[in-house]
Amino acid sequence: MAAAFNLNHPAHVVQWHFFTMSVSNLIVIFVMIVVFVLAIALPFPSHGKQEVES
Amino acid sequence: MSATTRPPDKPEKRSWTLFLRERAMESLPPEKLLADRQPSYVSSWIYVFGVLSLASLVVIILSGMILTLKGPAWWHFTGLGLFFNSIHLWAVELFFFVMVVHLWGKYWMASWRGGRVPTWITGAVTFLIAIPCALTGYVSQQNFDSQWISTQAKDAMNAAGIGSFFNLMNFGQMYSYHVLLLPVAVVALVIAHILLVRKTGVVPPFELSDSSGTAEPASGPAQ
Repeated sequence: MAAAFNLNHPAHVVQWHFFTMSVSNLIVIFVMIVVFVLAIALPFPSHGKQEVES
Repeated sequence: MSATTRPPDKPEKRSWTLFLRERAMESLPPEKLLADRQPSYVSSWIYVFGVLSLASLVVIILSGMILTLKGPAWWHFTGLGLFFNSIHLWAVELFFFVMVVHLWGKYWMASWRGGRVPTWITGAVTFLIAIPCALTGYVSQQNFDSQWISTQAKDAMNAAGIGSFFNLMNFGQMYSYHVLLLPVAVVALVIAHILLVRKTGVVPPFELSDSSGTAEPASGPAQ
């Protein structure tokens, strides 16, 4: 079965002055930021549990 | 040696077990240690990432124990071994992913408020120790990938001046760090972190804090 992604090549790298980072690492950081924003923005499902008013 | 009677005003000599028990019960009474109710503000996705980190850590520890029992030939050359190797790797990736989101969430809500500085510190130190824990795992794989990583990373260790006693080219040393010393430190810190969260309660969001900035309720989730 062929792999979903062809990894048989050197990593793609983003370079800008002193900054060097692989594209895969940048994607992971980007996804973390998206998940962080969604975790704040999305409503949390309520199951009608007994809660403590604070 | 004769038996003496204690003056009535002198307190009874206390044993260290009694002292420890009283301190433990005072800090963490059962209703706080195993709370069954949570503050209303915990109903947010951002509060989920702490327990996700914990769940990932449990998977890491369990899969790591199986890998340790079976050895490199099993995890490289058998189907089930490759499966558990992948479980271990991806649980680590997930652990760092959710731990970073947990860290961001707690940073931006200043979760050290209300006497929660030790909780913040134990969490931050856990994150820092988890990094060499993962690094020693990558160099313990027993394949070309681990050789590449160890030969590259040893230069960083030498540049930092710790290469003489933290030698990435020494498999035995790295494996000992990975399966014993660093996991014990991470698990101990995580236990301390969770007990501190139970003791002081989950940090409330800013709008529920008083004007002085000292977040309460100090009573935590059990009240």
